[in-house]
Amino acid sequence: MIGTVLNSLRHAFIDVIQAIVPLILFFLLFQVFHLRYPSRQVMKILLGMAFTAVGMVLFLSGVFLGFLPTGQDMGRFFGSYEEKWVLISVGVLLGFLATFAEPAVRVLCYQVEKASTGYIKSSLMLYTLSLGVAVLVGIGMARIIYEIPLSHIIIPGYLLAILLLFVSDRDFIGISFDAGGVATGPMAVTFLMAVAIGAASVMEGGDPLVDGFGLIALIALAPIIFVLSLGVLFRLRKGDDG
Amino acid sequence: MREIFKDALKEVVQSIVPISLVVLLIQLFLIGSPADKIATFLLSVVMVALGFSFFLMGVKIGMLPMGEAIGGELAKRGSIIFLVVVTFMITFLATVAEPDVRVLTSTITAVSGDLISRSALIISIALGVGIFVVLSMLRIVYNVPIQYLYAASYLLVIVLSFFTPPDYLAISFDSGGVTTGPMTVPLILALGTGVASVMAGRSALSDGFGLIGFASIGPILGVMLLGVFLS
Repeated sequence: MIGTVLNSLRHAFIDVIQAIVPLILFFLLFQVFHLRYPSRQVMKILLGMAFTAVGMVLFLSGVFLGFLPTGQDMGRFFGSYEEKWVLISVGVLLGFLATFAEPAVRVLCYQVEKASTGYIKSSLMLYTLSLGVAVLVGIGMARIIYEIPLSHIIIPGYLLAILLLFVSDRDFIGISFDAGGVATGPMAVTFLMAVAIGAASVMEGGDPLVDGFGLIALIALAPIIFVLSLGVLFRLRKGDDG
Repeated sequence: MREIFKDALKEVVQSIVPISLVVLLIQLFLIGSPADKIATFLLSVVMVALGFSFFLMGVKIGMLPMGEAIGGELAKRGSIIFLVVVTFMITFLATVAEPDVRVLTSTITAVSGDLISRSALIISIALGVGIFVVLSMLRIVYNVPIQYLYAASYLLVIVLSFFTPPDYLAISFDSGGVTTGPMTVPLILALGTGVASVMAGRSALSDGFGLIGFASIGPILGVMLLGVFLS
């Protein structure tokens, strides 16, 4: 086991060097030609980048060592069940947990409570948002089982979002699109994606490249539609008052 | 610095532990995974938690001040060309370094059996983010309503999706989701608020919002176009 751990650390190390060195070089060039920050501040920024790099090496090797293989194992296991609803329920459960536990989602809920001057309570929003992502992960798993093309789900979703853009409250629009990012945290991206790929790989006649991906996109779409709809509700209520 | 690390660790543990517990229970009682697999999973949970905490701390003391410094410098100069070039460079490079992008692209390449080149994917994604953040900046400068920009680019995504080969369709939409990760988000926000705060009559709040969401449309188009050109 130690051998595989060292090997994944080595791979992650090479990857991180390639990822982060260009950014550091750019900062140093910018510092020399434009910023001319005092050297103490430069050292602090460089120290921060060193932490970032060390953290990334650990994170990436952990993901490749354990998260992705475990997720794929789970996907293959539940994907080969005769009762297909099991895979869908596992997806719903994991989708709910990933969103409910994500600190960035809580920050977003608080923002919405403020933007709606308390009309939309952050706790209510947290539950409904987690449920929304859970449902979309369930749909994503069902899509893999019944081999529904992603475009049949995502394009109506996007059209709905465009429609809501023009009827939703203005303050909610910016929040909603940034919200798409908060639910796609590291758990969703690494783990749920791996489960989907594992499940797609055991489906008869399925193509993991076509069926296994797409889940992150669905997860990103859920909060957008959800927050925009809240914006419509809020606007209607404001209209009633005025 | 210890405080920053503790806060980051707390946040990371909150987001990782619930799912990891459920996964552990499933491994133990349903799948019956062998002990070495379970040990590897537990080790990887610890590595991910520690690694992500270090990463977040590093972003806070390194990337954020850097983004704010460069954002402020951009606005002070008042040159649109300078703004466009530097914004593009920095968001391009930050996207290349985004952990979520590293994970997604290497997974795609592995699943495709090396048919889809990882570097081509990373470059398409980073180009998409770079160009769309530049457009967002110009939107702040020229005060274009955000709805029109979103609606137009979403329509473009829908139209292009009919020409995208099926192998590239799902991964292009996923690429949009992963760019809004822990590296690019703070950096883009710092740049945006830096620019908006120096421009007269722009609110840092309503103009700063929406940058991230818009940035994530770029990679969808980038990877779709990659698919169209390669097939």
